[in-house]
Amino acid sequence: MRIRILLIWALGGLVLATSGVFAQTAPAKSAATEIPRMPDGKPDLSGVWQRPFVPDMSKNGKDQQGEPQLPFTDWAKQHLIEEFDYSAHCLPLGYTRAINSPMPIEIVQRPDRIVLLYEAMNNFHEIFTDGRDHPKDLEPTWAGHSIGKWEGDTLMVDTIGFNDKTRVDTEGHPHTEALHVVEHFRRTDPKHLAYDVTIIDPGAYTKPWKNVRTFTLRPDWDVLEYNCEENNKEVNEGHIK
Amino acid sequence: MRTKFAFLIASLTAIPMLAHHSFSAEYDSKQGLTLKGTVTKVEWLNPHVWFYIDVKDDSGAVQHWQCEAGPPNMLARNGWRKDSLKLGDQVTVNGFRAKDGTNTANARDIILPDGRKVFSGQAEDADAKGGSKSNE
Repeated sequence: MRIRILLIWALGGLVLATSGVFAQTAPAKSAATEIPRMPDGKPDLSGVWQRPFVPDMSKNGKDQQGEPQLPFTDWAKQHLIEEFDYSAHCLPLGYTRAINSPMPIEIVQRPDRIVLLYEAMNNFHEIFTDGRDHPKDLEPTWAGHSIGKWEGDTLMVDTIGFNDKTRVDTEGHPHTEALHVVEHFRRTDPKHLAYDVTIIDPGAYTKPWKNVRTFTLRPDWDVLEYNCEENNKEVNEGHIK
Repeated sequence: MRTKFAFLIASLTAIPMLAHHSFSAEYDSKQGLTLKGTVTKVEWLNPHVWFYIDVKDDSGAVQHWQCEAGPPNMLARNGWRKDSLKLGDQVTVNGFRAKDGTNTANARDIILPDGRKVFSGQAEDADAKGGSKSNE
């Protein structure tokens, strides 16, 4: 008789233990904090992103933090003045200056690449996430060649292969063809991207330096058409050479 | 002490400006102005919207002014529309004067005929560099 009672207690205990009554439950994830993910589980960075205007990557401002003392090389100190105002002539802004722009960027994420659609200058760029490396014989371009790797939920982007026709920001901070840009993108919540960019260029800077920003999702915006040449009055009328 | 301070200020301002397509290359952030005038023309085009106003000076003579604003898309996001300024509209423009002495201003904000104040610069921060100058 006693054994039977013991068995019933044991069975009851087993039922309770496996029913999860005493199990720890994880805090409920609300829709407000859970970021969208791709089918493979990686964070989905897609969306139209509002970004702070960063005319000077050495400065702090709204949603941005810079490196106050840029470590110029002697070469860079001699090349602070832009002889030719390339952006005024509607030439491509260059990789870092395009993301410094206040005009929206749409990120379109696919499993093998991330496509950036820039309203500024009506341009695009691809970050390859299919495991490829930079080509060995890279021709220098205005925006370089970008590859991305996931480190947990952070996308690290590595870009090289720049020509020397651009500046890193509107202020005119210089770079050489040796420019190597490393960025991190992390979608911290559905509405925000934490972003940082590190400039590595031994030709222009004695050590790497960084700028940090926050982007905000704008579901109410689309990337619109922009045509730089349609009424470039200042160049056409000779106010800018 | 005062002389030292003055020298420091002078030497800071003597540092060559990074000459480039920037607000500070063309406009004087210390020459803020307010223009009240009548719209005579609007170029709602990239890279910068230009609008032209006739301003009556104290003697009653008409001065023709041209005002530069941001790109159309940016203005639209700030509450402007292509038809926000119609010929003959009375507007008030707050901005900065061009360094070349012409009747050219970079519009920082404008009070539309319906009384709304809209920003035309790319930055909504209230600093002088918030003028809508660069092509980005």
